[in-house]
Amino acid sequence: MRLVAIDEVAQRRSLKRGQGLAEARAMYPDIDVFDEDERADFALLEAIADWCDRYTPLVALDGKDGLFLDITGCSHLFGGEDAMLRDVLARLFQMGFDVRGSISSTPGLSSAISRFGRGGVIARENMAAALGALPVHALRLDEKTVASLLKLGLKRVANLLSMPRAPLARRFGAQMLMRLDQALGTNEEAISPRRPVAPLSAERRLGEPIQTQEDILGMTAEIASSLKLSLENRGAGGKVFELVLFRVDGRVFRISAGASRPLRDPKRISGLFSERLNAIHDDLDAGFGFEFLRLNVLQHDVFDELQADFSGEGGRETSLADFIDRVSARFGAGCLQVYQHRQSHIPERAEIFIPAIAVLERQPERSEAMPFLPQADRPLRLLRSPEPVEAFAALVPDGPPQQFRWRHVMHIVTRAEGPERIAPEWWIDDENAKERDYFRLESEFGRLFWVFRLGRYGDDPPPTWRIHGVFA
Amino acid sequence: MAHAAAAQEKLFALREQIARLEGRSLPAMAAAKMENFAARSSGEEKLSFDIAALDDALSGGLPLDCITEIRSGSFSDAGAATGFSLSLVGLMKARKAAAGPMLWIADGFSTSEMGIPYAGGIRQFGIGSRTIFHASPRRLEDALWLAEGALESKAFIATIFEIHGNPKAFGLAESRRLSLRAKAAGRPLFLLRHAGEEEASSASFRLFVEPAPALERRLPDGSMLGGSIGHPVFNITLEKSRNPAPLSFRLEWNLHDRQFHLARDPGKSSFHKWPAHSGASLSVSADRQDCPKALGDVVAFERAS
Repeated sequence: MRLVAIDEVAQRRSLKRGQGLAEARAMYPDIDVFDEDERADFALLEAIADWCDRYTPLVALDGKDGLFLDITGCSHLFGGEDAMLRDVLARLFQMGFDVRGSISSTPGLSSAISRFGRGGVIARENMAAALGALPVHALRLDEKTVASLLKLGLKRVANLLSMPRAPLARRFGAQMLMRLDQALGTNEEAISPRRPVAPLSAERRLGEPIQTQEDILGMTAEIASSLKLSLENRGAGGKVFELVLFRVDGRVFRISAGASRPLRDPKRISGLFSERLNAIHDDLDAGFGFEFLRLNVLQHDVFDELQADFSGEGGRETSLADFIDRVSARFGAGCLQVYQHRQSHIPERAEIFIPAIAVLERQPERSEAMPFLPQADRPLRLLRSPEPVEAFAALVPDGPPQQFRWRHVMHIVTRAEGPERIAPEWWIDDENAKERDYFRLESEFGRLFWVFRLGRYGDDPPPTWRIHGVFA
Repeated sequence: MAHAAAAQEKLFALREQIARLEGRSLPAMAAAKMENFAARSSGEEKLSFDIAALDDALSGGLPLDCITEIRSGSFSDAGAATGFSLSLVGLMKARKAAAGPMLWIADGFSTSEMGIPYAGGIRQFGIGSRTIFHASPRRLEDALWLAEGALESKAFIATIFEIHGNPKAFGLAESRRLSLRAKAAGRPLFLLRHAGEEEASSASFRLFVEPAPALERRLPDGSMLGGSIGHPVFNITLEKSRNPAPLSFRLEWNLHDRQFHLARDPGKSSFHKWPAHSGASLSVSADRQDCPKALGDVVAFERAS
C-alpha cells in the first residue's frame, strides 16, 4: 500500500506521495491513514466542477485532481483575469479547499504552473520563461521518459527548450515535443468540456439568496424575458430548457424541462418549471437559498410566427400544447403518448406508442388513407402479450375451438369468425417462427375474444392457442 | 292578490335555484326558452341517441358538460365497457363533426388485466388513431390531476377516465370537483369504471354496461349472414338518472353509420347445435346458505369505497 495523498502536516514532515505505507508508519507511527475512495473523490471533483459553471460553461476535468476552465471572453465579467483568479481561489478556500490555480494561454502551461509553479497569471510573452523554470515532471510525460530525462541530467524544462528538436524527438519520441508545443501554444490542445455548451443562456446573480418556489419561478420568468430577445433574433423558440440553481453552499441543481413546441413566452417557460418543481419538490433542498440562477436553452427550433387573434386566446392548438408540456414536465415524457402506426401485420408491432411531446400534431384529423391498414376487424383492447388458453374440441385442421379456458374460466364458443392468417416476419423473428391463425370467438354471454392458434396441427410440437385481445 | 303573486315569484326563484344546483334545465325558464330562444341553440349541448325511448329517459340526451359514469360488473366485461365509452366518443364525432383529440387516462391495473386500448380497433369506431392521446399515470392522484388538467385546458373533445373498483381516493369530493371542472369547461368526462360497485357520485348519469351477443352481419340485400358476428351490441342499464326505475336497453353500435340502433333479440345461433342439457353452469351451493336479503328500500347507496 502506498500513500496517494497527504495533508500539509505530513508534507512538512517530508512524507511523499507514492511512499510505501509501511515506510511512512515506521517514520511516524502516529499518522492517520484512510483508504482511498476514488468514487467519492471523483464525485467531489464533479461537484466543484458544477460549482465552477458559474464562471464559464466550459469546464473540463484534468486528471483526478484538477479542473480546466476555458475563460475565453469571460474574464472581464469578473473584473479581469487577476481578479477572477483571486475570486475563484478565495471562494474555494472559504469552502475549505486548498486550491492552486493559474491563468495562461494554454491548458498545458496552466496545469503545469498550478501544480509545479507558483500559480498566478502568466502573460503571453513570459510563457517560455515560466515553463522553463519548471521541473520536467510538469510536462505530463509518462514515468519512463521522465526517469530517462532525469538520468541524463535534464531536470528543468529550460534544458529541453534549448536543445535541437530532431535529436530530442529521436531519443524520447514525438510525445515529448507535442507536450512542449502544447504548453507553449504552438500546438493547439483542446479540452473536453463536461457538458455541451447551451446555444443560449442567461443568468442572474442575486445579492440576497432566494428560497421559495414563487421566487424561483419569478426569477426564471425574468431571466426568460431577457432570453426572449436573443430567441427572437434567431427566429427560434426553445424546446428544451435547463434551469441551473447554484446554492449558497456550492451545491448545484439542474432541472430540465421540455416543451412540445418552440416557446418564447417567459410566462409559459416559467410555467414549465412550475410543474417540474412541483414534481421534484422533495429533492430540491433550498437550504440557505440560491444565489445564482442560469437558464439554458439546450435545444431550439424554428418558431412559427403567428398572428395572435384579438381575443387574446390562443385556441385549442395552444391549449393542447400547454397541456402536453405541463404533463410531460410533471410526470415525464413517457406519461402522455400517442399512437403511431407501423408497417407491420403483427398486431403488437403495428401500433406503438411514442411520447406526445415528440410529435405534436399540426393537423390532428388527417385522413388516414394508408394502404397497409388491415381491413379485418381488430380488437379494442390488446393484451400486453398473448396469454395461453386451453382450447377444447377445435376443428382439425384449421377450425376454431368450441370451448376454451382462459384464467380458469371456461368460455363456450357460440359463434366464430376466421381464420385470419398472419405470417411471422422472418426478418425479425427467426425462420422457424410459426404463423398465427386468428379467430373472433363469441362466448355464450356475448363476450368477443380474439384468439389465435400458433402453429399447425400435425406439426411437432402440436399447436398452442393464445388469446390476444377482446372486442367490444 | 299582490301578496300571492309575490309569493309565487319567490317560489319560482327558489325552484330555479334548486334546478340550477341539480344541473337540470330551469323549469320556469324552459317555457320561455322555447318561445324566445328557439332559434338560438341552447347553452347546454346534449348528445342524442336518436332513439326516442332512450332520449326521453335521458331528458334529451347525454349532457356533454358533466361526468357520465360507465360501469361494468367485472373485468371480463371490460371490452364491452370500453367499446361503449368509445362509441359515445364516436357518436359525438359523427354528430357534431367535432374535430379534435380525445384523451384516454389509463388505469395501470386495468391495462395489465385486460390490455391496452388498441388503435386498430378504435379506428373502426370512427376515432382516428392520431387523435387519441394515451396517458398512463402511476397513481390515482396523478390520474385525477390529469383529468382535471385535461378538462381545464379544453383541448380535448372528450376525456375517458379509466379506473377499476371503487378506490377510496376517488370519492364524492373528487367526483364533485371533476364535475364542476367539466361544467366550467363544457367538456364531457366519461368515467369508465371496471368491476366497480354503484356508489354515490356527482356523475349526472350512470350506465351499467354488459356485453350482449352481436347480431349477424347484414348483407346488401337486407338479409343476415348466418353464423357471422356483426356490429357490437351492448346491454345498457340506466342506473342513475332522473327516472325512478332503472331502464334497460339493448343497443347495437353500427360501425359504418356511426349510430346506435335498438337491437332485436338475436335469433338462435346456427353455428353449433348444443345438447339440450349441457350440465349445470353453476355448482350446487354448498357449505352454507345464501346471505339474507336486505330489508327495506334502498334510498341512497353507501360509499362502496
